[in-house]
Amino acid sequence: MDLKRSPRSLRRARSRDGLTRFAVFAAPGLLVYLALVLVPIGITTAYSFTNKNPFNPPTHWVGLDNLTSLVSDDEFRKALWNTIIITGIVTIVTNAGGLAIAMLLDRRGWLYNMLRSVFFVPVVLSAVVVSVIWQTILVDDGLLNSKLRQLGMSDPPGWLSNPDLALYTVSWVIAWQGIGFCVVIYLAGLQGIPQELHEAAAIDGCGPMMRFRHVTWPMLAPAVTINTVMSLIGGFKAYDQVQVLTNGGPGPGTTSTLAFQVVQTAFNGNHVGYASAMAVVMLVLVAAVSVIALGLLQKREVSS
Amino acid sequence: MNKPRVWLRPASALLAGLVFFLPIYLVLVNVFKDGSAIVSNPVGVPIPPTLDNIQGVLSRPDHLFWYGLVNSTEVTAISIIIITVISAMLGHFLARSTGVLAKVAMVALLCGLMVPPAVILTPLTDVLRALGLMSTVPGLILAYVGYYMPFGVFVFAGFVKTIPRELEEAAAIDGAGAFRVFWQVVFPLMRPASASVLIFLGVWIWNDFLNPLIILGPAAGTTVTVGIYRSIGEHQADFGSVFAFMFLATLPILVFYLAFQKQFVKGLTGGATKG
Repeated sequence: MDLKRSPRSLRRARSRDGLTRFAVFAAPGLLVYLALVLVPIGITTAYSFTNKNPFNPPTHWVGLDNLTSLVSDDEFRKALWNTIIITGIVTIVTNAGGLAIAMLLDRRGWLYNMLRSVFFVPVVLSAVVVSVIWQTILVDDGLLNSKLRQLGMSDPPGWLSNPDLALYTVSWVIAWQGIGFCVVIYLAGLQGIPQELHEAAAIDGCGPMMRFRHVTWPMLAPAVTINTVMSLIGGFKAYDQVQVLTNGGPGPGTTSTLAFQVVQTAFNGNHVGYASAMAVVMLVLVAAVSVIALGLLQKREVSS
Repeated sequence: MNKPRVWLRPASALLAGLVFFLPIYLVLVNVFKDGSAIVSNPVGVPIPPTLDNIQGVLSRPDHLFWYGLVNSTEVTAISIIIITVISAMLGHFLARSTGVLAKVAMVALLCGLMVPPAVILTPLTDVLRALGLMSTVPGLILAYVGYYMPFGVFVFAGFVKTIPRELEEAAAIDGAGAFRVFWQVVFPLMRPASASVLIFLGVWIWNDFLNPLIILGPAAGTTVTVGIYRSIGEHQADFGSVFAFMFLATLPILVFYLAFQKQFVKGLTGGATKG
C-alpha cells in the first residue's frame, strides 16, 4: 500500500516543490523582464498603429499609416542612412584597428601591459565624457584647429560644423571609444593560438602575410564574431554621442541616428505613435542584422 | 640584419598608445590649470597645479555634482546587487531546467540583449507612471533591473555549465533544501561570473545617459553623467570646470573598475576564447 502510494504523493510533492522553486528562483527575474522589457515592446508595437500624441488626444487606430509615412519621410530615411554609415564605419574601424593594435601588443612585458590598459580606458568612460573631450578638440576653434592654424593651414575643416563631415566625425568618436574592447578580445584570441601552428607554417615556407592569412585569421574567427556583432549592435544604438557632439546637426538631421530620431520624435515632438513605428522598424532591423551577421560569422567559425 | 627591427615594435606600440591617449591627457592636465592657461597652453603640463576647478565644482551653489554623486551611487549600487542576485537565481534555474518553457524563456531573454534602449523608452515611462515610479530613483533602478536581466542570465547560465551537477545533488541528499543548495553551494562557486556581472553593469549603469535623462528628468535631480551634460550647457567656454566635473564624475567608477580589473578582463575574454 505504502509502496503503491508513495510514487504519486512523491510526484505531487515534487511538483509542489518545483512550483516553489519556480516562484523563488525564476519568477522575480522573469516578472521584471516581462513588465519592463517585453510589455514595453508590446506597447510600442501597439502604439505604432495609432496617432498617439499625449498633447493632442484622442488617440485612434491608423493602421499602417505610420509605416507608409515613414517610407517617404526624408528625415527618417536620412536617420536610417546615417545609422547604417555609423554602424559600418564603427564596425570596420574598431575591428581593423583593434586587430592591428592587438597584434602590435601581443608580446610580454610591462610596456605592453601598460599599453593594453591605455587602449581600454575609453571603454570604461561614459560616452558623454568621451564626446565632451572630443568636442573640445574638434569644435571650429578647438584644440585641433588652433594647432592646424599654427601649422599654417588658414582654413582648417569644420569637423563638427561641416554637414558633409560631421557624420564621419561622430563615427570616429564612437569608434575611438570602442576600439579598446576589440583589442582585449583579439588579444585573448591571439594568445589562444598555439605557437606550434605558427612554427609549422613557417617551416612549410609561409611568410608573415601567408601565416596571417592561413593561421591567425581563421583561428581568430570566434573573436571576429563577438567583435563584429557587438560593434553592429553598439553602432545601431548610437545616441549619446549624437546628442552631445552635434545634437543631430549641423543643419536638419545631418547626424541624426534612428535612436536619436525616435527619442526626439517621442519626447520633443510628442508624436508617440509615429515614433513607435520608427522604433518597431529599428527593432526589426537590429534583430535581422544581428541574426544574419551571427549566422554568417558562426558558419565561418565552423568551416575554418 | 634583424637588429634595427628590435625597437620597431615597442616604438610603434608606444607611439600608437601616445596618440590614442592624447585626448585623455588633455583633460587630465587641464583639470589643474586656470582658464587663461588652458587657452594659452592647452597641451602643457600644469605647473604649478591649481585645484580651483575642482573646488569650483565641489562648491557649486546648486550642488549639481553632490546630488548627482548621491543618485549615481544609489542607483548603481542597488541596481547591480539586485540584478546579480535575481539573474544568478534565474540563470541557474533555466540552465538546470530541461522543459520547453525554460527554453522559450531563455530565448526570450537572449533576444533582450539586442534591444536598443530608445525602442522601449516611451512605453517604459508609461509602465513606470502606472506603477507610480516615474521620475523616482526606484523607478530608474527597476528599469535597469529589467533591461539588464538578459545580460545577467546570459553570463550566469553559461557559467552554471562549468559547475558539476553532482555537487548540488550531493548537498540535496545531505538534506539541504533548494534555497540552501543555491546560496551555500552554487552561488559561492559562481564568484567569477558574479564579478563580471557586477563590474560590467557597474560601468554601464554609472555611465548611462539616456535613461536617467528621461526617467529621472529634471525633477528628481540627476546622475553625475547627466550632470556633465547639464554643466556643458551652462558655461560652454569654461573648459576648466567642465573638465573638473568630468574628472570627478569618472573617478569613482574608474576606481571601482581598477579594483576589479582582473575579473573584468577575464569575464570579457572568457566567452571569446571558448569559441
